Amino acid sequence: MAVVRSNISTNAGVRDQYIEGVKLLKKEASGRTTDEFGIPGAARSVSTYDLFVIWHVTAMMIETPPGNPAQRNAAHRGPIFAPWHRVMLMVFEQNLQRVLNDANFGLPYWDWAEDGDLPPQEQSSAAIWGANCMGGEGNPVASGPFAFHANDPSAFRVRISTNISGELRSVNRGLRRAFGVSTDALPRTAHVTNALALSPYDSPDWDADANTFRNRIEGWMNDDGVSATSMHNLVHVWIGGEMLLGSSPNDPVFFLNHCNIDRLWESWMSRNGRVYVPDMTAGADLKGHRIDDPIGSPLGRSATPRETLDVSAIYEYDALI
Amino acid sequence: METKKLAQGAAPRKLSDYLTRARDKAPAHAGHGAGGAQSVRNDHYRGHEIEIVTTYKILVDGKKVRAPLGVDASGQVHCHSLPNYQTASAVDMVRALIDGFPEEFERKPAPSKSRPPASHKRRPAPARKSKPAAKKGSKHEH
Ligand SMILES: [Cu+2]
Repeated sequence: MAVVRSNISTNAGVRDQYIEGVKLLKKEASGRTTDEFGIPGAARSVSTYDLFVIWHVTAMMIETPPGNPAQRNAAHRGPIFAPWHRVMLMVFEQNLQRVLNDANFGLPYWDWAEDGDLPPQEQSSAAIWGANCMGGEGNPVASGPFAFHANDPSAFRVRISTNISGELRSVNRGLRRAFGVSTDALPRTAHVTNALALSPYDSPDWDADANTFRNRIEGWMNDDGVSATSMHNLVHVWIGGEMLLGSSPNDPVFFLNHCNIDRLWESWMSRNGRVYVPDMTAGADLKGHRIDDPIGSPLGRSATPRETLDVSAIYEYDALI
Repeated sequence: METKKLAQGAAPRKLSDYLTRARDKAPAHAGHGAGGAQSVRNDHYRGHEIEIVTTYKILVDGKKVRAPLGVDASGQVHCHSLPNYQTASAVDMVRALIDGFPEEFERKPAPSKSRPPASHKRRPAPARKSKPAAKKGSKHEH
């Protein structure tokens, strides 16, 4: 039976389970060590949680196709953005269900547009950043369940990050956030409404300049059709710290942002039908983004964008937009 | 999507097996990672072929920054290691690199025996915890 995904700000039970589940996955050894993933330095155990960090960075490294001028990769800057992240979230949700021993657990989402409608100076004190939810900002984050305590080995730590070239590296430090440094404010409800009004999921040139639903929610263009950091990207950049990097799944708020993006995609499909482009008539330069191309995931080659369009057997949202 | 396929594929062992395979196959950081910062833009206009090659040479505190910056068809600056950000100016991107990778820009105090150790005058500003007070021209007042 499908689980229900709900708003983290209005469902305290799910919020607490999410925090608990993240901590459990962070403590669980995956059985692999850093050297097996080509990470330089002494071999260290990799947690199940950190496999998701490696997955995200790896997807970004795989250019589709190599050297394409749009800089499309296996998960971003092209049509595959929504399906790839949907698969990542479903795999993460399954693991949370397993460690929480609760098959009914549904990943929560953060409706950031609600906070984006607040005056900019109030956004960093929204409920999500409370000590009982994601905690606040800092280098390292010093409040909430993921606060850094130097002398407590069980406290939340970032163990795998990227360097300035974008390559994986071992670290041992607290989580970092710096709200509103490179941008003033979160996206607002109006941005969501305007994106949902776009009927093409994506269109040529399938890149960061396409005025389409996918490109809008990914956040390469503003409502006027001008290149800008918006929506999903703006959320990353506004939070700052870990969320600026390819290793952004290090911040547990990553999954809450993407769950909301997935909810927007589901809302778009409730208007436009379970449709996706490009189809297989598209050329090889779109390989990895076409409807029957395999998604880079542990689910095998049969997991394609087409397979992700109907997830009604797996989960649903408490409220669409 | 079938529940069974998802449940089987979600096991941590399946994910780590997939990742080791994917990383073996991934072209060894081709095009980025090696500090490559060159983009080529092509266009055709009135029968002419336009090719614009952009190479960034970036120095921070006199030291070369090996970040994979590029510029896309519409002139937006993008950096592989800051994947969610694009700017009209490479300066803003370098500022974001300094925010995103603070340890790569740490300045070691110049070794000096003659200077009294208590002097903080010539030391770089301490790592700030709060927002920068002003970022010229790129922030709106509110
Ligand atoms: Cu991503």
